[in-house]
Amino acid sequence: MSEVRLDTIRECFEGVIPAVLATADKEGVPNVSYLSQVQYIDREHIALSYQFFNKTRQNILANPRARLMVINPFTGAQYSLQIEYLRTETSGSLFESMKARLAGIASHVGMSGVFHLLGSDVYRVNDLLRVDKDAVPAPEASRNTLAALRVCSERLAACRDLDRLFDEIMACLDEKLGISHAMLLMHDTAAGNLYTVASHGYAESGVGSEIRMGQGVIGVAARERTPIRISHMTAEYSYSRAIREQLTDSELAEEIPFPGLAESRSQLAVPIVGCDYLLGVLYVESPQDLRFSYDDEDALVTLSGQLAMQMYILQNAAQAEPEPLAAPDEARAQREAAPLVVRHYAGNDSVFFGDDYLIKGVAGAVLWCLLKDHATLGRTCFSNRELRLDPRIRLPDVSDNLEARLVLLARRLCERDAGVQIEKTGRGHFRLCVHQPLVLHEVI
Amino acid sequence: MSSPSLDAGQIAFMRAGVSISVATCSAGGVPELVRAIGCRVSDDGSSVTVFVPESKSQCVQRDIFANGRIAVAFTQPSSHRTMQLKSDDARVTASSTEDLQVVAAYCDAFVAEVGAIGFREEMVRMLLSCPPNELVGLTFRPQQAFTQTPGPNAGKPLEAGA
Repeated sequence: MSEVRLDTIRECFEGVIPAVLATADKEGVPNVSYLSQVQYIDREHIALSYQFFNKTRQNILANPRARLMVINPFTGAQYSLQIEYLRTETSGSLFESMKARLAGIASHVGMSGVFHLLGSDVYRVNDLLRVDKDAVPAPEASRNTLAALRVCSERLAACRDLDRLFDEIMACLDEKLGISHAMLLMHDTAAGNLYTVASHGYAESGVGSEIRMGQGVIGVAARERTPIRISHMTAEYSYSRAIREQLTDSELAEEIPFPGLAESRSQLAVPIVGCDYLLGVLYVESPQDLRFSYDDEDALVTLSGQLAMQMYILQNAAQAEPEPLAAPDEARAQREAAPLVVRHYAGNDSVFFGDDYLIKGVAGAVLWCLLKDHATLGRTCFSNRELRLDPRIRLPDVSDNLEARLVLLARRLCERDAGVQIEKTGRGHFRLCVHQPLVLHEVI
Repeated sequence: MSSPSLDAGQIAFMRAGVSISVATCSAGGVPELVRAIGCRVSDDGSSVTVFVPESKSQCVQRDIFANGRIAVAFTQPSSHRTMQLKSDDARVTASSTEDLQVVAAYCDAFVAEVGAIGFREEMVRMLLSCPPNELVGLTFRPQQAFTQTPGPNAGKPLEAGA
């Protein structure tokens, strides 16, 4: 037997092979139980799922010492952990993270109606030993995650505006980490939801689609500010059905479809947090079971930390540069076409082009102001600073995410190809390009 | 303590390619675990021997010498059907040539059981590996039997046909 470090055997905790737990009562009568879930917390702690009030439960409350056996599913190596029960958590980040993972495991093993997390039992690991010295060789690693992370970090660091940063993170995930389905969502503090600003790997980008706080993997990750990783498909955390069920008819009319996979078998949502403030969520998924490992989670948490810092810097840097020379777009004549009717609903700032919903909320308010100023004053050049000060837009005071909302607006306009576009002309400056006659209707 | 009666279906289940885990407890209250690699059950269910590798079962053997207490869980990975036996009269026994055949048959059956749910044979055989001269028996008379299949009856005394 040889001593091993807990953070080097995390693949044993993916639930591929159930862990075995031995406990004993006060009289020393042993008991064996099988565990669907072991969660790595740090190098000295793990958490076990508490699902039933059973003999194991009675025993650890009477005698906190237990023995856990785990197996590496790739090599067959067995590890024996001497552990000691410390406490049970029934809410918060650890609990929510384990609850989501358990839902995936339960669904995978046909125990959806049976497995429910009552608590996360936290144990200290007092000793960890390798039981046998033999093991089959592990399969060749498909990549070096740490090396990939470095390249991603360098590529992100080279981005000089948010628009580029959003695209670059999607490209990095695909090219360097082999993650081909991903989304970036920003947090709207005032509305209490998250809106998609970038995606990769879907037929429709879904830019502008929204997720409520607490809804599904993304919403729980945002609410609890903790990564949520699910290794098997589960209806409990799936998006396609749950979202539609929660919306009213009028809301459905303004719904931009969420772009997720119809059959997502692995999901990982990582909150983007900087200075203790939730900026958004980075979400990845796969049609393959067990696609994302603890290492992938570490990589995305690290990248999200960098994203948070860089978003913060770029939001503020956008105000710093002098205004460029105004270059009116005289060359582009408005298209000879029937006028496009643009309606604005003041209640929620939703904007419709013809009968088609375009956008709502702060981005809707911004667009409406731009179009009004263009129609009444003939303006085409605008700055972020003036939008921040414009009383018509009512930006939230703290961390307004204005730049991210402008990126979202520009992408929605581009996708709609409706004859109105926004072009960046410099840091903190942009131009409104109207290629078609517009008729503006305010609906109160 | 009277013995619980194990029915023919339960005995057949224990003899099949199911996962077998053995727990003991030291005088100081520290539980120990070892994976068993085969099982011999008398036809009337009154005597059970589980086989373990000598080198991986040192602590378990020490506890059994000290207090005879043992808990053994049998679980079928594909169905989660699980039962647990307990006793306080366990002893360590030498293994015979016939026992080696029981273990070899068990390994083949377990490889087939978990192979069907996607585990590589090479890995599974590694998990069950034991040099022939290292095989040790842990023999006991079951005094309590419980069903432990996940669900509302988990933890209840084992009933006939369960």
